[in-house]
Amino acid sequence: MRKFLAALLTLCMLASFAIAFADEPITLTVFRGDPGDQPTADNKIYKKIEETFGVKFNISYLAGDLDQTLSLQLAGDVYPDLFDGGNSADLIITGGALINLLDYISPEKTPRLWAHIEPQKARLIEKDGEGNDVLYIIPNYGLPDGPQIALSVGGPAFFIQKQVLEWDDYPTIKTLDEYFDLLERFLDANPTDENGTPYTGFAILCEDWRHFCLINPVQHLMGRPNDGEVYICVTDQNYEVTGNDPAEPFKTETFIDKPYAKAYYKKLNEAFHAGLIDRSTFSMSYDQYIALISNGTVLGMFDQAWDFGTATSALIDSEKFDRTYVALGLVYDPDYVNGAEIEEHYLNGSLPNVRRGFGISTTCANPELIVAMWEEMLSDEWQILLNWGVEGEDYFVDENGRLNMTAEQYANTQNNQWKLANKADAIFQSSPKKQGWIMNDITLPSGTVIKAGNCWEPGNQDEIVFGLMNEYDKSFLAAYGFSKFADFVNPPIELAPYGEAWQIDYTPVTVAHDNFLKVQDRVLPELIQCDPAEFDAKWDAFVLEIKPYADEFAAYMQEAVVTEAHKVLDNAD
Amino acid sequence: MGMTIQRRGTGAGQRSSIGVQGFFRRLGSQWQLVLMSVPMLLYVFLFNYAPLWGWSNAFRDIAFARGTWADFLKGKEVPWIGLQNFDDKIGLFRSGAILFTDTIRNTVAMSVINLVLSTLAAIVLAVLLNEVRQKAFKRTVQTVTYLPHFLSMVIVVGIAQIIFDSSNLSPGPVNSLLLSTGIVRQGPDWLNTPGYFWWLVAVINVWKEVGWGTIIYISAMTGIDPCLYEAASIDGAGRWQRILHVTLPGIRATFVILLIMNIGHLLDTGFEMQYLLKRNATEQVAYTIDLYVMEYGIRQNDYGLATAAGIFKSVIAIILLTGANFISKKLGEDSLM
Repeated sequence: MRKFLAALLTLCMLASFAIAFADEPITLTVFRGDPGDQPTADNKIYKKIEETFGVKFNISYLAGDLDQTLSLQLAGDVYPDLFDGGNSADLIITGGALINLLDYISPEKTPRLWAHIEPQKARLIEKDGEGNDVLYIIPNYGLPDGPQIALSVGGPAFFIQKQVLEWDDYPTIKTLDEYFDLLERFLDANPTDENGTPYTGFAILCEDWRHFCLINPVQHLMGRPNDGEVYICVTDQNYEVTGNDPAEPFKTETFIDKPYAKAYYKKLNEAFHAGLIDRSTFSMSYDQYIALISNGTVLGMFDQAWDFGTATSALIDSEKFDRTYVALGLVYDPDYVNGAEIEEHYLNGSLPNVRRGFGISTTCANPELIVAMWEEMLSDEWQILLNWGVEGEDYFVDENGRLNMTAEQYANTQNNQWKLANKADAIFQSSPKKQGWIMNDITLPSGTVIKAGNCWEPGNQDEIVFGLMNEYDKSFLAAYGFSKFADFVNPPIELAPYGEAWQIDYTPVTVAHDNFLKVQDRVLPELIQCDPAEFDAKWDAFVLEIKPYADEFAAYMQEAVVTEAHKVLDNAD
Repeated sequence: MGMTIQRRGTGAGQRSSIGVQGFFRRLGSQWQLVLMSVPMLLYVFLFNYAPLWGWSNAFRDIAFARGTWADFLKGKEVPWIGLQNFDDKIGLFRSGAILFTDTIRNTVAMSVINLVLSTLAAIVLAVLLNEVRQKAFKRTVQTVTYLPHFLSMVIVVGIAQIIFDSSNLSPGPVNSLLLSTGIVRQGPDWLNTPGYFWWLVAVINVWKEVGWGTIIYISAMTGIDPCLYEAASIDGAGRWQRILHVTLPGIRATFVILLIMNIGHLLDTGFEMQYLLKRNATEQVAYTIDLYVMEYGIRQNDYGLATAAGIFKSVIAIILLTGANFISKKLGEDSLM
């Protein structure tokens, strides 16, 4: 009976598929929860998608405040077909805007999609209010094949321009004090660049949700990977519970109100008065920040590599290689933390980007079509097309079956304008995708064979990363005796069972959390700029003001971290 | 001299003398006028009265985390919670990073500063323009001053941000000027200092609206009988005295009507500019009631709380309006009701 039903469903699907393909192309409305540029009308990949699936896209990018945009869409009750809620996807999930993908995905109907999510099922599939299994969003990133690849830091770190390290004869920078000391010495010696534009010593982006540049660093200085706004003390790598407290292996606290956070902001206060931080950084918009970094006049900042990716591309475009950045894994000097030697862990085990990426909205008329499209796009052939481009035009396969690019082809992939005409990034970035290693040989329709052991993403392929690396970077790495930029930080640790705590849905404590953030947004810039003599008193007032919200948020997070951890721990056997 | 423009009362006195029957007879005889007013009545009903139904949300627990909007639309029961949205635990007067009482203070303060400054500026500019005899010059000044009215607030605030840019590395014109004249060693941080915010809003507002505001006053001034000026001149009044005793009394009625209307809208004056101009550092002085409604109603989806704030605002506005009307009546001026 079940088989019959499945067959019938498949038939229906195929029928609707056939009807869909026979007709005019269907236009799907798409929303992306981040800013971006429209692809050109004659984009070659979108053309292929239209030919194959009969689907066109009407893409809108975020302009303005994310939470507000999503909430307005929710209030209006008409959603884009492909709905990417960005960092606030919890809102649209709670708001009931997305369909449960498990109604469309199964090992029989969509073998590729199922195989894609299966290894991380425990993390991905959640329970809804009525206890049903639900999956609203297939993560856009973080479901790789094979062992983890970590060639560079893609996430949070303290960044520093390569020219600064070069100027100081390639020192090893490990602590906060060494970092700011170097920035200050460089700035004293070189107040402006060759055009007379003044250098900014240290930039802090404070806008909207990107204020993580301001409020997140302390946990990393304490030696933890990114847990958002909480510090989780993992003492036992086996997560054993010895007493009655289930939270024992995952002691969770907000860090911003703790004494160890004070040291960082005091350091920033010193840096501000030493002229390293410009006042305008606190009122800067994201666009202004990117423009400033693209100028090549920002010496350092705390950020996540993807957050200023466009600026990095712009710097490479204009061949200012020495103005691009190295990610450093800084920790507190022992003096700040009662003499404790902190080990740095900026790189974490690979983590499914839970609840990030496209969901299909409840108002979408063709969910089957989208799922079928994703299923087909996860085929080897399509993944190569979406990741690498068109064979011969955008890449070539050498006699050993290795994927490679010519210098010109590679330069194209770094050019934002070229990408708009030749890449389907707006769709691909938020869709399910293969990452990591190509595990089996692939035979393309042209007969070309791509051998196992290549990488899905050009950015991870040895031939690209090392073969096409610019001369400046090569000599820079050679000066340090490193083979890759990830060597500046420790290798990734094993992912904790709770994942990374920034992914936890905090909508149940929205009010406390919002107040928690608002106080930080307002007071931290004040603390950084205040008279050093007043710093201690202002800090105490800050701790007092934020405590009630911090406590409520921390209590919720403690419980949530334990719940998340048990999803994985209980399914391990 | 004290001239007052006399207007014939067309209000209450006559209506009561006609009586109910008379009212309907008169209504029937003016059916064309009644017909013409139907669309307006419909409009007012549809957009001003029908939405009052939404006020019921203020007495429900209607928020995302606790019972979602989608649930509500699907007809799911959303619990009634009485006046809890107005109390000090989960309601308007709860503690938080942005206090509702602060938003009331901010709204009233900014509105009053705005009202006083923009009215003053408009009257002064109108009087000055009225005294200009050179037509071409007058026209040019008028056009130049009212052009900013047509700029979108985003552009105006963008310009203001550039002008008041307080970066140390590349300061805007204002700070460059202050620094170059040596008045200050460190330029003020205009956009990030809470103490400047209200005044900044007022200054930008005056710049944007002053020309527009003069239009009504100038037209009121053209309505003043030239004989009055002549008579005043013959009596030996100089230019200054003519302004004081003819022009200003001549626009008094207009001034009062505009004042009453503006007071009715006193609490409406704050949304766009404050939204665009606020920074993390200035939120506590920048949040107006409207921004508060948006923050909790739209960004945090606590529809009940936002509605409660909206009702609160309406009540204050009604009190202000009737109050101003009452005072104006007592002073023997025109009233709107």
